[in-house]
Amino acid sequence: MFEPLIPSAAPWLAAVEAEPIAATASQVLNLVPLLLLLPLSGFIFTALFGRRIGRFAFLVPLLLIVATWAIAMVVVYEALSGGFGEHGAGITLWTWIPAGAFQVQMGLYVDQLTACLLIVVTTIGMLVHLYSVGYMAHDPGRWRFFAYLNLFMFSMLLLVLGDSWLTVFAAWELVGLSSYLLIGFWYPKRSAALAAKKAFIVNRVGDVGFALGIMLIWVSTGTLNIRESFELIAKLDSTTIAAIALLVFCGAVGKSAQFPLHVWLPDAMEGPTPVSALIHAATMVNAGVYLVARANPIFALAPNVMVIVAAIGIFTAILAASIAFTQTDIKRVLAYSTVSQLGYMFAALGVGAFTAAIFHLMAHGFFKGLLFLGSGSVIHAVHEEQDMNNMGGLWRKIPITHWTMFVGALAIAGIPPLAGFFSKDEILAESFKFAFGWVWLIGLVVAVMTAFYMWRLMAKTFYGEPSAHARSIWDRIRESTWTMTVPLVLLAIPSALIGLFLGLPLGDSRITQWLEPVFAESEELLHPDKQPFQLAGIDGVLIILSVAAATLGLVVAIWLFGAFRRAGSRSRVESLTDANGATRFLYRATLNKWWFDDLNHLLFIVIGGRVADAMWWFDRTVVDGTVNGVGRLTVDAGRGLRRVQTGRVQNYALGIAIGLIVMAGAYLAIAAR
Amino acid sequence: MSQSLDAYLVLAGILFAIGSFGFLARRNAISMLMSIELMINAVNLAIVAFGAFVPELNVDASVIALMVMAVAAAEATVGLAIVMAIYRNRRTPLVDEYDAMRQ
Repeated sequence: MFEPLIPSAAPWLAAVEAEPIAATASQVLNLVPLLLLLPLSGFIFTALFGRRIGRFAFLVPLLLIVATWAIAMVVVYEALSGGFGEHGAGITLWTWIPAGAFQVQMGLYVDQLTACLLIVVTTIGMLVHLYSVGYMAHDPGRWRFFAYLNLFMFSMLLLVLGDSWLTVFAAWELVGLSSYLLIGFWYPKRSAALAAKKAFIVNRVGDVGFALGIMLIWVSTGTLNIRESFELIAKLDSTTIAAIALLVFCGAVGKSAQFPLHVWLPDAMEGPTPVSALIHAATMVNAGVYLVARANPIFALAPNVMVIVAAIGIFTAILAASIAFTQTDIKRVLAYSTVSQLGYMFAALGVGAFTAAIFHLMAHGFFKGLLFLGSGSVIHAVHEEQDMNNMGGLWRKIPITHWTMFVGALAIAGIPPLAGFFSKDEILAESFKFAFGWVWLIGLVVAVMTAFYMWRLMAKTFYGEPSAHARSIWDRIRESTWTMTVPLVLLAIPSALIGLFLGLPLGDSRITQWLEPVFAESEELLHPDKQPFQLAGIDGVLIILSVAAATLGLVVAIWLFGAFRRAGSRSRVESLTDANGATRFLYRATLNKWWFDDLNHLLFIVIGGRVADAMWWFDRTVVDGTVNGVGRLTVDAGRGLRRVQTGRVQNYALGIAIGLIVMAGAYLAIAAR
Repeated sequence: MSQSLDAYLVLAGILFAIGSFGFLARRNAISMLMSIELMINAVNLAIVAFGAFVPELNVDASVIALMVMAVAAAEATVGLAIVMAIYRNRRTPLVDEYDAMRQ
């Protein structure tokens, strides 16, 4: 399907490079601005007139996103089949900031990496829009919801299309804004409003780093164009490169919810479930991965920072996976699972397996989007109940939701031949082969844990005996409407097949071929002695090991929590968690999310609050005191001196006369001496 | 005509003192204008006296005196016009009731 149109883009073309490509760029490139224009116009239209349209306010945003998807697919096809040249092509729309030497162009750029992101963003975006029609059917504010969704689509597309750091940063903040608006969509609910604020503020922490990184790029290279800056950064000294890489990574840590800024993502589940699926699982949280992948030429020159990236990634992966063990809110389990999988992606980026990271990003986008939409369908079915302890035995009542989620759960667990198997295996295999043994080992443990907590989620939700709450509403549990189930089915297909499509043939997979022009140079620089793929050798062993890990996790989970009619054993679970002091401590630790929220509370609310109080006191008494004192002195002096001004001519004249006499007298006194 | 410069200067001093006293003490605007004239004339007298007794200042003093007269005439005209305008407005020639500048 994606065979290159011009197989070998003629060797003589390589000599002339970028310029002629821009000149001969295909007509498809002119469609790219439409990708931004359609969602933006949808947002503006719905924001202005949505309230008056009322029930059918979803029509315009939905149709525009479908159109966006269609255009995006054309663009993606063109980009992946080589229509934009080997290194992609861009258009410059206008000069955004013309300020002397500081010139920023508003430009869009499409290459293979952008194309991969476009597939995920527009496809899942479209399906989530469709799903929301059903999910938000009874919400009076749904015109607002669709307006925000379109705003998010615009921001996210700008983020992947932008060709200057500043554009990307603006889009970066815009997706943050959309995320804030959508988490706090049910703003009368206090917890939702707080979660929105938390997400926004925690993201700001990372964004400061990103902004500083961009400033450093400008100061040291004098350009903000991403492609130009790569060439100039390569000439800098290694300390500056490391600083830039580290600062850019800061932004990624915030947006992609990596340790220690992972705390906002689970709370973001206060938003409506389609939002959790679209923004907080499939697209926006991937922005950090995209950013690091996009900046791969910088990171490839800073191997020390790469190790930090890998360490933070794999640590986040195991930390979040351990927390997912004990959460009972279905969406929170998925949220921690997202954090954990994002950690995988960063680990892949850190070991230099950029392609594997993007592969996992795409696969994860589909199956996690599916799982979240499925969880929304479950929550709807059991009357807005999110606690898994109040579910159970639902698989017969909501079969479509169950089977699609079943596919998603096996996909994320890494069971072949589903998507997660290929992408996760590529990450693990490459980290092993690139001599990051510790990343591989922890990754393997996380693979066991992932399979375990996913099956736990499935078993507690769908299998065994219905809980008391589920029984009390048993006859009223219904499968969701078609607008909700169709997206589930449409997402289950890529969740199952995208691995086969992108991950085969092993060793030289389709996605490797796609992304080769983007990552080849960096991967060559980092791993000059890459071994060819050997199915009968090391790679085969690694595949068997990762499948074994996934199976182990599943088997343990089935043993503890049951499957289908076979109920889980509560006493077995309790005997494990209560075995001794150590397990009790571990249980409490993961239940309390390793106390990170409490630590943050202590650090920033209690201690930070004290410091802020002291600052406030200083500001009020010393700073304000000085300023107000000067003001009061002036006012009082003015009031006193006002009496001098009587307004009578003769008083002034008397003053003049006395002055004259004094002056004359002084003159005489001096002259007489 | 006295042969002493001092006599003229003393006379000018007395006239200036009378003028300044009048300006400070009289409340009537017209009287104050007249007092100003008196002071100007006292100064003019001193200038002319210097011109008569100091040979180098002969010509200059006359020019300055003529200049002062012209300025005094102009000043008197403007001053009277202002006083008339204020009088029409406030219905009083007394300056201590002109306190609009105070606020």
